Amino acid sequence: MSTRRTFLKQAAAGSATLTMPTWLAGCASTGTPQAASVTSATPDNPFFSWFGLDDALVRRVMATLTSRGADNADLYFQYRRNNSITMEDGIVSKASSSIDEGVGLRVVVGDQTGYAYTEDLSEAAMNAAAKTASAIAHGSASVAPGALTHRASPHSVYADRVPWSQVGIDRKLPLIQRLEGLAKAKDPAITKVRIWWTDTDDRVLVINQLGHMHTDSRPQSRLWCSVTATKDGETQSGSANLAGRRDIDFYSPEKLETLAQQAADRTMILFDAIRPPAGEMPVVLAAGASGILLHEAVGHGMEADFNRKDVSIYSEMIGRKVAPDFVTIVDSGLEENERGSLNFDDEGNPCEKTLLVRNGILESYLHDTISAKHYGVKPTGSGRRQSFRHAPMPRMRCTYMEDGPHTRDEIIESVQNGIIAETFTNGQVQIGAGDFTFYVKNGWLIEGGKVTAPIRDVNIIGNGPQALKDVTMAASDAALDTGGWTCGKAGQSVPVSQGLPTVLVSKLTVGGA
Amino acid sequence: MANLMDRAEGAVELALAAGAQGAWASASSSREVEFTSRDGALEKVQENTSRSLSVQLYVDGRFSTHSTTSLQPERLKSFIGEAVALTRALQPDEHRELPDPALFAGRSSVDLQIADAGIDSFSNEQRDVWLKAMDAEARADDRVISATGYVSTSRGEGAAVSSNGFEGTWGGTSVWLGAEVTVRDEGDARPEGGLWLGGRRLDQLQDPALIAKEALKRATERLGTTKGPTTATTMVVDPQIAGRLLGRLLGAANARSIAQGRSVYADKIGQSLFPSILTVTDEPLLPGGLASRHFDGEGIAAKTLPIITAGVLENVWVDTYYGKKAGLTPTSGGRSNLLVKPGVDKGLSELIRDVGEGVYVTSWLGGNADGTTGDFSFGLRGHMIEGGEIGRPVGEMNVTGNLLDLFGRLAVVGNDPWPYRSTQVPTLVFDGVQFSGA
Repeated sequence: MSTRRTFLKQAAAGSATLTMPTWLAGCASTGTPQAASVTSATPDNPFFSWFGLDDALVRRVMATLTSRGADNADLYFQYRRNNSITMEDGIVSKASSSIDEGVGLRVVVGDQTGYAYTEDLSEAAMNAAAKTASAIAHGSASVAPGALTHRASPHSVYADRVPWSQVGIDRKLPLIQRLEGLAKAKDPAITKVRIWWTDTDDRVLVINQLGHMHTDSRPQSRLWCSVTATKDGETQSGSANLAGRRDIDFYSPEKLETLAQQAADRTMILFDAIRPPAGEMPVVLAAGASGILLHEAVGHGMEADFNRKDVSIYSEMIGRKVAPDFVTIVDSGLEENERGSLNFDDEGNPCEKTLLVRNGILESYLHDTISAKHYGVKPTGSGRRQSFRHAPMPRMRCTYMEDGPHTRDEIIESVQNGIIAETFTNGQVQIGAGDFTFYVKNGWLIEGGKVTAPIRDVNIIGNGPQALKDVTMAASDAALDTGGWTCGKAGQSVPVSQGLPTVLVSKLTVGGA
Repeated sequence: MANLMDRAEGAVELALAAGAQGAWASASSSREVEFTSRDGALEKVQENTSRSLSVQLYVDGRFSTHSTTSLQPERLKSFIGEAVALTRALQPDEHRELPDPALFAGRSSVDLQIADAGIDSFSNEQRDVWLKAMDAEARADDRVISATGYVSTSRGEGAAVSSNGFEGTWGGTSVWLGAEVTVRDEGDARPEGGLWLGGRRLDQLQDPALIAKEALKRATERLGTTKGPTTATTMVVDPQIAGRLLGRLLGAANARSIAQGRSVYADKIGQSLFPSILTVTDEPLLPGGLASRHFDGEGIAAKTLPIITAGVLENVWVDTYYGKKAGLTPTSGGRSNLLVKPGVDKGLSELIRDVGEGVYVTSWLGGNADGTTGDFSFGLRGHMIEGGEIGRPVGEMNVTGNLLDLFGRLAVVGNDPWPYRSTQVPTLVFDGVQFSGA
């Protein structure tokens, strides 16, 4: 039940991590209000009518919340509607929908937090929750906000789209059925195809104690293709998925064809795949999904809540040379339509691009409001939460490494005996000790500078700062993973993205046979 | 509770009125309080009061599931109306039916001992006393950088009803204490250790000071950890983490995985797959159990389900839908308390002495397993076993193989199942296991 343990996974339900999520446990702010347009709240603010609010009601609840004082206080209203569809055994056999609505109320005094939520948006219920959250404070009332002002985000990284609420199931079914047909046709050995579709509209209204209001409509969607194949009495299964803050037009015939091909290729190769030898060896990380290395080896350790508590292996390393000059690692909320992107974070701070490592030097942690105050810096727009049921904390958004000076061919040729890691299912890290792991589903053996055989199902383990030092080559083919990832920390899951150019880590421990 | 039953019944009525031929609804509510302290000061207080309603619809041979927290009558009516209309857009599926009412019969009424009224009257002053007790022990070492304590209590209840005659209610409480400690090592490393203990009732709690002391011990035991060796040797798995290994072994032992061609057990029910020392039982009626229940998520009356008996795979978990697809009789779609039968009359330290040399695993780190083939690879930390004693701490190691082969190498089952999980497993000893490290 370690809250400091964090994990990353591809699968949604029934995920395959060894962690037990219920027990566990960016964007750099410009901080320039002049960049944001400021308008007063008007009665036709659709978020107010959706949540049944008005100006005076919000101010009364805020007054209760701050009645014993607060350095920060916020109300986080959320309405999330999700739809999913399953196709199995040739039948679109199941649909699901859910509505999750409520408000989270938070009071921060120093580094102390009082938090409560309610799904009942009546004034009585909100006031009761506000009173509960306020109990952490022991001072006199903060000044109640005057007029509420709406602050638009300077960014729009998933705008101009059709909300999922306006897309009927009649538009989703044809693409699900098309994908199923494409996957089934990929190989005569394929016996089962399962397609899983999910889309979400997430409406968020954040109001802080200054009366600043932020509104955002956050789309999310994902399409999974899983296949099972049987050949000569042996059965193998694999999958691929496509995800992002995308609308339905993104799922083009070409994208479906690629997805079906990926799922089939990743499965059929398993019939020939072997386990690599066990032990330490050079590991080539293929461009794209291998960003899992950054997420686990450096990203979590750079989340500032761990550092202000002095419990991260990176707690005293800002300004230190941690990797070769060509290594620049970014955590950005501004990658258009990516799964981890946000216009502003869940505290209302605008997102931006934060450099964790610049030219090999450790540069910035990922901050929420509490840690930014602790360090005397601006928030990086990294304060995220799973839903209104949770207090925000520093989290990653889209984590990737910029291009390096080498080529993929040079990198592979430089390896005498090692592996290429290509697709992944999950990872995990110990924040303080720095040990991290990720699980390689598909990859390749390298012998004498040449790719010789497919490999499968090996866990890789290393230590964060050591792995950064051991990044000896990076190519100029940086790419973000097209599949979706969900990051878990202290019992909260949030969508993230990651990417990498082809990279060589000169030594990691490979779980072989 | 009457309120929750009314809510569930109301949802079934709305579904039938909107044109569904069958419906299942459940309404639930919960309240949780969690206090967190760090280094002697209160860090966070969170109180959650939650509710939700979920509905399963059977419409013209089609099926869908829905849930909402938005319970105003007019919103609920339109939500269920839209859900029924949505279901009609799917394809008919001959295997989708409400569970056979015969499976509802014979429900036990035994007291599960999973609710404690004391949780409701529990005071914040008591929480504070416990946090202070943990803090004092957790920081009783100069090398401690930070110590965090947790006190968490909850109560949840629910009611479910179906259009083919099911009706049932449930409720329970829980209380947990946790301590986490980070200590300073050479260089930049800050090893951590932690422990959470608790249960359904206050009388299942342990002394907070002992919990903190153990958390501190676990952190300091990691000091000076080095990378373990690449070797094939005996593996001793601590009972506290053996549950996860067993969970992975049985991850595909269900009708859904079998029906979808994704189970290593597809054609193995009834076969002797493991040494005769391995016996695993699903026991939903365990008094005070973390996963105890009178019926499962489909309403199937709870009863003891032998999974592995003396090495033979006797049963897998079978729900109504995938049971029909796989040609298996429903048992229960969901795992409850999973109990491994104790073996030899020895605990962890005696077994380590018997083993002499090997690797003692104290925690897993990442890793995964392929349910279709059983192939696995897990990261781990622990200690070398040297001369029958727990030796130097090691990390950055993986264990890799096939789960059926690994459990085929199960040599000893101890007498010390860990009671603070729903999967209760004693110390396990495996022979000839492949580790990768330095």
